[in-house]
Amino acid sequence: MEQGKLNVQRHQFFCFIILLFLSSVAFGHTINYSLEKAPTGNVIWYYLKLGYSHILPQGFDHILFVAGLCLLSQKIKVIIWQATAFTVAHSITLTLSMKNIIVAPSAVVEPIIALSILFVAIENMLISELKPWRILVVFMFGLIHGLGFASALNEIGLPRNKFAVSILSFNLGVELGQITIILLMFILIISPLGKKTWYRKSVVFPLSIIIGLIALYWTIQRIFFV
Amino acid sequence: MSKKSIYILFVLFFLAAVVLIIVRFNAKQNKKENERYTLLERRGISAQTTEWIHTKSQAYNYLNNLEKNPNDEKSNLGLATLFIKEARISGNYVYYDMAAMKYVNNVLKIDSNNFEANLYKAVLYLSQHHFAYGLAIAQKAQQINPYNAFVYGILVDGNVEMGYYDSAVANSDRMVSVRPDLSSYSRISYLREIYGDYPGSIAAMKMAVDAGAPGEEATEWTRVQLGQLYERTGDLKNAEMHYTIALDERPQYAYALAGLGRIAMSTKDYNKAIEYYLKADSIVSDNSFKEELVDVYSLKGQNDKSQNAAKTVIDNLNKDASKGNIDESIGHYADRELAYAYLKVNDYDKALEHAMVEYNRRPENIDVNETVAWVNYKKGDYTNALKYIAPALKTKCKNPVLLCRAGLIYYKAGNKQLAKTYLQDGLINNPNINYQLKDESAKTLRSLL
Repeated sequence: MEQGKLNVQRHQFFCFIILLFLSSVAFGHTINYSLEKAPTGNVIWYYLKLGYSHILPQGFDHILFVAGLCLLSQKIKVIIWQATAFTVAHSITLTLSMKNIIVAPSAVVEPIIALSILFVAIENMLISELKPWRILVVFMFGLIHGLGFASALNEIGLPRNKFAVSILSFNLGVELGQITIILLMFILIISPLGKKTWYRKSVVFPLSIIIGLIALYWTIQRIFFV
Repeated sequence: MSKKSIYILFVLFFLAAVVLIIVRFNAKQNKKENERYTLLERRGISAQTTEWIHTKSQAYNYLNNLEKNPNDEKSNLGLATLFIKEARISGNYVYYDMAAMKYVNNVLKIDSNNFEANLYKAVLYLSQHHFAYGLAIAQKAQQINPYNAFVYGILVDGNVEMGYYDSAVANSDRMVSVRPDLSSYSRISYLREIYGDYPGSIAAMKMAVDAGAPGEEATEWTRVQLGQLYERTGDLKNAEMHYTIALDERPQYAYALAGLGRIAMSTKDYNKAIEYYLKADSIVSDNSFKEELVDVYSLKGQNDKSQNAAKTVIDNLNKDASKGNIDESIGHYADRELAYAYLKVNDYDKALEHAMVEYNRRPENIDVNETVAWVNYKKGDYTNALKYIAPALKTKCKNPVLLCRAGLIYYKAGNKQLAKTYLQDGLINNPNINYQLKDESAKTLRSLL
């Protein structure tokens, strides 16, 4: 009897997880009516700026995430590959979310975003070189971050007749924002200090600890105090 | 312990944390779904009326029915109706909209084409200022039942808010032909005001008041709207009379008290005005009363109190808006109100940010264009102010606040002829509007004569 009840509960739990991400339209996404009449060039510029500013300076959590990604490798190409995997992933979920195909509640997405930053920070301390699965992990996190971007983009909305161009511009803006952070990290930290013998001990560890602590604080705050 | 083991443990910890987040959210959702919303105690004299006793008894019966049968559509909808009404009486839209939404959704889960449930859902979205969704759902409800007058009322409201005024007029004509009553006459009045016909607007609002039962909240709300029309046309005696009647019919009616507060402001009796606003605010939690307090404290030179009241308004609006982060079925879009609230604390960048968010949602609406224009004017960006004030004037609305703002914008933009015309039209009957705006407009007009 108890076992049967437990099975039903398990079944309900897994159904819930599936339904959570394939939600029916609990709440539709905002339409940006004003930009429907605007020239395409203006729309591209508007969402490009929006995407960029969503990382720099507004997206402190995304800044920490990207900064965290930069700490494990000293090769800019590898770092940019990670950032690109992240962008491809968040573009997928952002588009699906804005199309209402996937809708995830921010109460779930936001704590997992914080947790993903914590993950990257701790992983930086546990492993000393980039493992092949890191790209996959970053891709998975990108999927989650995309759902977070969707709730932010929902504030502004998207023009129905320029949906693809606006969402592409937003994603491009995000990517440019990330590349800016990567370049800054490279110029300010990795390039001058990366070859030092004490780099890992005196740079990667302290920075990862700081990022990890902030992410831990956000995780706890977003799980228990929102 | 080896590094590999630590890493595996760490990954397991991460996965466990993800599961915890989902389980916790699931539990919260279940709790919310099983939550039993009840009526909250009213404040002031409205808590002592027989209508309140009747409302409580109705709610009790509906809740009892739902205990026995949660799928009882009649009780779910009955409860939703009570909560929608109570939101307006108490001003506690956050709680009651959420409560009503739960019971409306209960019905829609059983029957997604239930006419009343769709109608109430549209009402709730409009109440939360999610106008595009409200309008879309009202259109769906109209397809289900095109012979109901109320659905046309909701379509009027949605179309007006989205700035589709021609559609609103068509819906209003249809509404009044189906059912000429308080709701339809008041909407005609509102549309006439938008199109600049104040005598026609007042006449329709009088018909609306006459069509309602004296003392009922809807009737007295309408009477207060009539008073406001008189204020805008400078007929303060009639305005005061209607606020006084509203208070006789519905003692301590907060919106009528606030009306008398504005009348007191016009005679520079600031202490009396503060008394009225504070009384109104103690009965109904409505930020508009606090906004009035910001102005009157400022006029009295009590700048600390004024700034505190302004900050309270901003906090309240942000708090209401952020409810959407917790419960995505609810959450007030308050960007236009926030734009004005930030103007009062001279934070022009924030004001513009919020004004533009609202503009992106409904660029055709004249009030939203006016807001964006005014924020730009305050920022000193007269080119952009000019760009947005033109569409705000497209319906030839003669609201004195709009006309004065338009006049000031045209003046700064260098078009003195239009500035003079709008300022003269705005001030023609000595309307009861914000003192600072009136003063600035009058001074500018004098310089143009």
